[in-house]
Amino acid sequence: MPLRERSLGVQRVEQVGAYTLLVLRNDGLEVGVPGQFFMLQADPEPAAAYLPRALSAAWADEREIAFLVDVLGAGTAALAVASRVRVVGPLGAGFAIQPGPSVLVGGGIGAAILPWLARTVGEQRRVVLGFRSEAHAICAALIDPEATVVLDPVLVTEPLARMMPVAGTVYACGPDPMLHAVAALCAEHHVPCQLAMEAAMACGYGACYGCAVKIDGVWKRLCVEGPVLEAGRVLAAR
Amino acid sequence: MSSLHADLCGIPLAHPLVNGSGTLDALAAGTLGLAAFVTKTVTLNPRAGNPPPRIAETPSGMVNSIGLANPGLERFCADHLPRLGELGVPVVVSVGGWSHDEYAEAVRRVSADPATAAVELNVSCPNVETGCISIGTDPDETRALVELCRSLTDLPVFAKLSPSVADVAVIATAAAEGGADGLVLVNTVRGIAIHRDTLRPLLGGGGGGLSGPAIKPVALHAVHASYAATGLPIVGMGGLANTQDCIEMLAAGATAVGLGTALFRDPGLPSRIVAELPSELGRRGFPDVAAVRGIAHQIDTEAQPELDGLQR
Repeated sequence: MPLRERSLGVQRVEQVGAYTLLVLRNDGLEVGVPGQFFMLQADPEPAAAYLPRALSAAWADEREIAFLVDVLGAGTAALAVASRVRVVGPLGAGFAIQPGPSVLVGGGIGAAILPWLARTVGEQRRVVLGFRSEAHAICAALIDPEATVVLDPVLVTEPLARMMPVAGTVYACGPDPMLHAVAALCAEHHVPCQLAMEAAMACGYGACYGCAVKIDGVWKRLCVEGPVLEAGRVLAAR
Repeated sequence: MSSLHADLCGIPLAHPLVNGSGTLDALAAGTLGLAAFVTKTVTLNPRAGNPPPRIAETPSGMVNSIGLANPGLERFCADHLPRLGELGVPVVVSVGGWSHDEYAEAVRRVSADPATAAVELNVSCPNVETGCISIGTDPDETRALVELCRSLTDLPVFAKLSPSVADVAVIATAAAEGGADGLVLVNTVRGIAIHRDTLRPLLGGGGGGLSGPAIKPVALHAVHASYAATGLPIVGMGGLANTQDCIEMLAAGATAVGLGTALFRDPGLPSRIVAELPSELGRRGFPDVAAVRGIAHQIDTEAQPELDGLQR
């Protein structure tokens, strides 16, 4: 399984509220499916950040690959001002799209991977998003203008609970406590649920063993098993 | 164009680049063009590894606390080793343990499989409380362990040493006295990362091992000192990130060079170095890789005037 690696030119960078949208010109890189991820590093490499950053695409096709980035440290800051970006991927397992209706649940920067998923699952979808501020919530427009949006301290599980039982599949991405709460709610109502999880990664392709997450009750590499997991595999671990 | 062939204790290598133990899962990602594959350290019993977070980025490198996560000797031999034998490159199996008996059992078992080309004794993991690291900090323990393991296999035995000791040459000498065929230097340097907000240790295992370009001078020194002390074949590693780094490591005394953390950020690196190395060695007048080895130890008065030009 050869790893695919490219240096892609930056097409545009724009502020989307509190987040930064980084759009790369695609140059023949296979884009994979929503929920898979790429390792990104500014090219030439930034002096202040040694490791690449693991990000799932906001959307991707043969023309462009877009990432919604929460600029927090040196690595993401370098990406936001880069003219080229080195990209390895797609990596890991993405969402297994199921036929029928769906509910997309996003929390904070977890919403970054939902625009592509929303386009892929089609019209029979509802979207529930939670953010810590109005500025962070502006990116909801990229996903679905009709999304239900809640702001801190309201949790996404409140509107989601009112939708239960959902006929169809729940797809969620966000902080761990949110994912566990969504998974528990879905399990209670016997609703199939897939979680896109997050962990710090050095490599993204199974080499470093850094991204350990409790999966099936034991520490496993998220980059190999996930990052999208059937919720039961995570719930069983608790 | 210079030849890249290397001979590591009788193991022919197409070129001098291998991976550091624990920095590649060849079953998941292939061998990335490396000339040999070194496994993640296997221990008698399966280990889940340390709780996350397991990695932290630091200036010019990273600190890790993986904790020797591995499937255990039984499953490794039954399931992993046969598949590793099909990779098409020599396989060096890295073993660890909490007693001499555990190392001995691992050496016996992995040596019985035709897929194993050599054995690496990891006596230098910084991420476990006892066992591996404590053996590698004590010359007498190191000598005794190497001697025992040397007697249990016909394959080349390497000792993987830590730079986090007072004098690495003392440990290297002890390994040589115990009969080690070669050395692997260096494992990660003991380090710790503090969370910038909580001011508590960032990694789940508390401390960890520092790797990446930050430790390159430490690694070069350890290889330089161990080559001078023992003359043994050495797989030199620690912060190597490009062709120039690899040549410097050979000059310090390495027979082959290991890439580790650099693979995480750049899986295409081995192929690029292998492509650059022949012309880079040729440009400097070296006919092959062996000709570079240890050249940093030669006091070459003829070359001084040119280098001294800036200082005058």
